Amino acid sequence: MTVERTVTIVPEAGLHARPASAFVQTVNDHEAEVSAGRPDGDLVQAASMIAVTSLGVGQGDDIKLVADGPDAEAVLDELERILTTPEAELNTDDG
Amino acid sequence: MAERTLHGTGATPRSGVGTVVWYGRDISIPEPDDIEVEPEAEAQRFADAVDAARDELESEREATTERVGEDEAAVFDAHIQFLEDPTIEEAVKTAVNEGHPAPTAVDAAFGQHIERFEGMDGRMAERADDLRDVRDRLLRLLTDGERVDFSDLPDGSVVIAERLTPSDTAQLDPERVAGFATVTGGRTSHASIFARSLALPAVVGVGEDLTTVDSGAEVVIDGDDGTILVGPDDTERAAAAGGSGAAIVDETVTTTDGRHIEVAANIGQPAELEPAAERGADGVGLYRTEFLFLDREGPPSEDEQYEAIREALDAFPDGRVVVRTLDIGGDKRIPYLDLPDEENPFLGERGIRRSLDPDSDLFATQLRALLRAAADGAGDLAIMFPLVATVKELDAALDALDAAAADVEDCSADAVDIEVGVMIETPSAAFMADELAARVDFLSIGTNDLTQYVMAADRENERVGDLHDPTHPGVLRAIHRTVRAAHAEDAWVGLCGEMAGDPELTELLVGLGLDELSMSAVTIPEVKTAVSETEYSAASERADHARLAATRSEVHTTLDT
Repeated sequence: MTVERTVTIVPEAGLHARPASAFVQTVNDHEAEVSAGRPDGDLVQAASMIAVTSLGVGQGDDIKLVADGPDAEAVLDELERILTTPEAELNTDDG
Repeated sequence: MAERTLHGTGATPRSGVGTVVWYGRDISIPEPDDIEVEPEAEAQRFADAVDAARDELESEREATTERVGEDEAAVFDAHIQFLEDPTIEEAVKTAVNEGHPAPTAVDAAFGQHIERFEGMDGRMAERADDLRDVRDRLLRLLTDGERVDFSDLPDGSVVIAERLTPSDTAQLDPERVAGFATVTGGRTSHASIFARSLALPAVVGVGEDLTTVDSGAEVVIDGDDGTILVGPDDTERAAAAGGSGAAIVDETVTTTDGRHIEVAANIGQPAELEPAAERGADGVGLYRTEFLFLDREGPPSEDEQYEAIREALDAFPDGRVVVRTLDIGGDKRIPYLDLPDEENPFLGERGIRRSLDPDSDLFATQLRALLRAAADGAGDLAIMFPLVATVKELDAALDALDAAAADVEDCSADAVDIEVGVMIETPSAAFMADELAARVDFLSIGTNDLTQYVMAADRENERVGDLHDPTHPGVLRAIHRTVRAAHAEDAWVGLCGEMAGDPELTELLVGLGLDELSMSAVTIPEVKTAVSETEYSAASERADHARLAATRSEVHTTLDT
């Protein structure tokens, strides 16, 4: 099953530092293959910290997520939560 | 004749000879042609190194979480993810299958990403540092490299590095280091200042040529003319070991016409106190407190800070120790404080701006430690605030000092009789010097930063090195204006930038009316001698001509005649 979603980034750090760590960790904890990118750009492997960081997406930017696999919905729900939670409230202990 | 001569920027008028120890590059990647490569074995080596690196990172994360906190430990999570990054893994596997040994494959896989991140702005460029850390960790594990342990350096080591950060230099034992050289950096870079304060021979900004000098090579570091001799002959070795310098002057000095000039030392860590006293410093004109906060996992306690300041006061029982309150930000990063990234940190929240953060008690703790030390220590304490731009900031800092005094039992600022001052580093502070001086006992001109801000020239950027020169008339006029304003308010005024330590500028600075010159200990004897040979009335006239010149070359013509 392939699912697609576009999310606007809330954390102040953008997709960097802790949010990026939590993001990549979550992708790795799920079975689905996830790719991510700017809505008008190429998609990169969301399991790669280097690739995700290289997107350079900041607070307020949109990011497109595509997941393919049995838990595709679940992984996107979790990623959306990370991307829409202000950094201070981000709980990284669930990884 | 030496086998080779390399050229850079001399940081200290000192030379020395020693054996090269590379810092942060103890990893030598074996030449791929020299080894038989079994792709399967190399892949396994890589996998083992990743496992070992992960173990190290996890235990470092755990230790940091325990001692500091979850936020500060988060960087290790990022490192683990870079370590396990599938793009790296794929690149390494491909290279190994093509017959490359694992270290070469790792170096190449990280290299392309590091280069790309380096070319980006601020926060992205910092990821290059993360990747470099992870790469070096892997390479060390793959090549059985040892971590360089500075506590363990053989005597007479010449430390060579790409660059030395404040936390790197904080670990160096000046007793064992014969000198150092760096690929990057200029005369006012952190590494240079560090070298001067310890009177260590140093050459900076040598460029990529330096990377061809191997660990174990014997070199002469000539900080006077900025050269490095690789494989020196006996004559060159003997000349370097001989040393140089003027006679130590223990007494305080006056000009030939009787004007007393205090000659003090800039101190960056306790190990520098004794050498400074031995070289004849009257006191400390700039005691940097950052070392207390660097290279550790949490801020120092009030007691720890008290002990350090007490030690400084006891080292100069008959002198004055001017302590600068914490000046973080800019190029001085402190990981556990988790400070936000700034696009332009030198124009950001550094110095007093950071100290006045209402959410932090670092400043109050430091002020209490200072007041307690002043009450118990032998010498006289003076406190100054860095990077003040407005009267409002100064008033807030003075309020904080009053509050700290009220907190500390039996020890109000009055009771211990400390002097309070402001650093003049921003153009605003130079323009507002009269208002600032009216509120304090002294001003201290930090010419490294003042020059950087007056000339809008990054002190680390060699391309604008010509602009970053305090003898531009624009800077001299700012100094003159500040001195005049201070004296009109009966405040004394010092100068604690690197120019204070240049004996060729002593006459100019005395002529501009400065009461105190504070410098890296290494040139104190030369400057004391220069003061004692200066006639103030003539110097004053000459300084007027210099500051009224239109160009820097006219300034120098005035000084040379």
